[in-house]
Amino acid sequence: MTWYDSFLQQLVDGLVLGSFYALVALGYTMVFGVIKLLNFAHGDLYMTGAFAGFGGLSLVSGFLGAGWLGIFVAMLLAMLAVGCLGVVIERVAYHPMLAAPRLSILITALAVSLVLQNAALSLTGGQYTAFRTDLGFGGFNLGNLFLSYNQIVLVATAAVLMIALELFVSRTLYGRAMRAVSIDKDMCRMMGINVSAVIAVTFFIGSGLAAAAGTMAGAYYGSIWYFMGFLIGLKAFTAAVIGGIGSITGAMLGGLILGLLESFGTHIPFIGSEWKDVFTFSILILVLVFKPTGLLGKSEVERM
Amino acid sequence: MNKILSLIASAAVINLAAGSLAMAQDGPITIGVQVPTTGSEATYGKDMLNAVTLSANEINADGGLLDGRQIQLVTGDTACDPQQSVNAASRLASRQVVGVVGGYCSGATQPTLKTYGDANIPFVIVAANSTQLIPANPGNAFMINSTGADQAKTAVDFFEGKGIEKVAIVNQGDAYSQDLANLTRDAWTEAGHTVSAFEYVNKGEQDFSALVNKIRSSGAEAVFWTAYYADGGLLIRQLRQRGFQGTIAVGDGSNSPELFNIAGQAAEGVFAFSNPTADFLPAAKQFIGDYQTEFGNAPGPYAPLAYDGMQLMAWAIDKAGSTDSDAIIEALASADDQEWLAGPISFTPQHTLARSNFVVLEGQDGKWIRYEE
Repeated sequence: MTWYDSFLQQLVDGLVLGSFYALVALGYTMVFGVIKLLNFAHGDLYMTGAFAGFGGLSLVSGFLGAGWLGIFVAMLLAMLAVGCLGVVIERVAYHPMLAAPRLSILITALAVSLVLQNAALSLTGGQYTAFRTDLGFGGFNLGNLFLSYNQIVLVATAAVLMIALELFVSRTLYGRAMRAVSIDKDMCRMMGINVSAVIAVTFFIGSGLAAAAGTMAGAYYGSIWYFMGFLIGLKAFTAAVIGGIGSITGAMLGGLILGLLESFGTHIPFIGSEWKDVFTFSILILVLVFKPTGLLGKSEVERM
Repeated sequence: MNKILSLIASAAVINLAAGSLAMAQDGPITIGVQVPTTGSEATYGKDMLNAVTLSANEINADGGLLDGRQIQLVTGDTACDPQQSVNAASRLASRQVVGVVGGYCSGATQPTLKTYGDANIPFVIVAANSTQLIPANPGNAFMINSTGADQAKTAVDFFEGKGIEKVAIVNQGDAYSQDLANLTRDAWTEAGHTVSAFEYVNKGEQDFSALVNKIRSSGAEAVFWTAYYADGGLLIRQLRQRGFQGTIAVGDGSNSPELFNIAGQAAEGVFAFSNPTADFLPAAKQFIGDYQTEFGNAPGPYAPLAYDGMQLMAWAIDKAGSTDSDAIIEALASADDQEWLAGPISFTPQHTLARSNFVVLEGQDGKWIRYEE
């Protein structure tokens, strides 16, 4: 492989990885936007989404098969289920805490994360669960660049979801309400906006996107386990910070940038792939120190 | 209360020991079996105990040892715990066992070497295979399972047999897989070949694309994964998914059938190195059948070695012609490549297996089969 082929290959890898990060980062940033909470349970919703997608696929694979159609339907089911779970979590764990000091709700979020993780641990016994699909390993070569169909479908699905979200937020009434709530909750209430409903919708969408990413990751990587949400949760958080937490476009951008940085970063001479996470989280620190608002964040956003 | 109980118990033990001394010339020959029958590794421990029992029963049915003396087994439960294993070893030693067969967890086996060494009791270690056991051996212990160094050698022979020059070695950063990776790297470079990439992955990471790129751009013709099946399955899958066409081999931590569930069709044609489990031993057909009838389930991975361990001990006692420790140890050391269930046994001066007993397996149709070059 020449450096040019290698460059292209890393670009493709970065995009695939970045799509996962972006989808998960969106949930972080949306929730932060409306209730100023760093939802540390978000990575575990991704994990729950993977298991929900696995369950969904077992349900529908009988008549739809375990190919793209089956996975797509399973993904929709998982988004629905985990979206509802997200709303329930918000109602039970976060809603009563909204008036409490910010630290209390942050601790609640950590507790929710542990509850989800340990529930999954108990249910699966800590074993890896094989996520079996009928997807092959097909693909094609562009010169020395290898593109698999799975990668293409994955990136395309992520793109469609993100465009849909962008349209929802910028063009619909609920989207406008969501943006308004993120700016000033009290004023929205006075204007007759049902803030509580807007928060619920935000959680539904954020959790649903995490579930979509979880299901796709399960199908793409082929196995799922209870701890899979931890690292990606932290990395999605990093992506959200890079893009500017609270900003939806920023989260998408941050996810892609982080994916690309990881992909290229591991090819810097003398930095092996074992340094990948060190690299990633060093970026988090650098961004927080030098540009705490991220690329697209607004400086008046209150931070924890 | 507990103290009184243990006093009574030890008094009983002393009585028993005295009793067995009194009839030492014609009574049963006591052999200790040191395995974990409780704790996390109990499944393997019980399986090994079963195999030793089967082995001893066969010998007894054939007329026993030394002109008709029967073998009597005493179990010492190590629970795979260094502290408990020392207690178990002392208990076995106090019962004047003629020899000890067993040893599963290397960490729990290591401290017992001193106990048996001090008591000068011959010890056949059947499963534990850390290279750390070798310097700790006072001279009375014999390892009949191959060590990590042997697996590295098996790997080198295998890759050489495939005409491969550049190998990428990947481990998971834990003591076991790192040790195997280092041993293989050293052996491979010593043999005059190239290690094109030497990497490790973070546990719990799902995306190995950067690693796969690195392996591909390093020009590796083969990849050797030295860690466990769960992440190994992910790596194999991504290697194949991303167009790596070279040879893939995995160490004995990954030869589980679960690998096929995770890697799917990518595991087809993957090679694995394995200790000799019964399924892949042509000589073990009879053994599998007998084990199944006796215990109602298939023998586990270390059953053949445990069976061999007992047979070897019995052979050495017969060869020594007495229950004298030194004579038995001398007999064990003289084991001369006789064919056993899991292959021939003879020892190096350090009392490790002279010949690697690792076998090469190949993934076909979702299961492992023995690979013959």
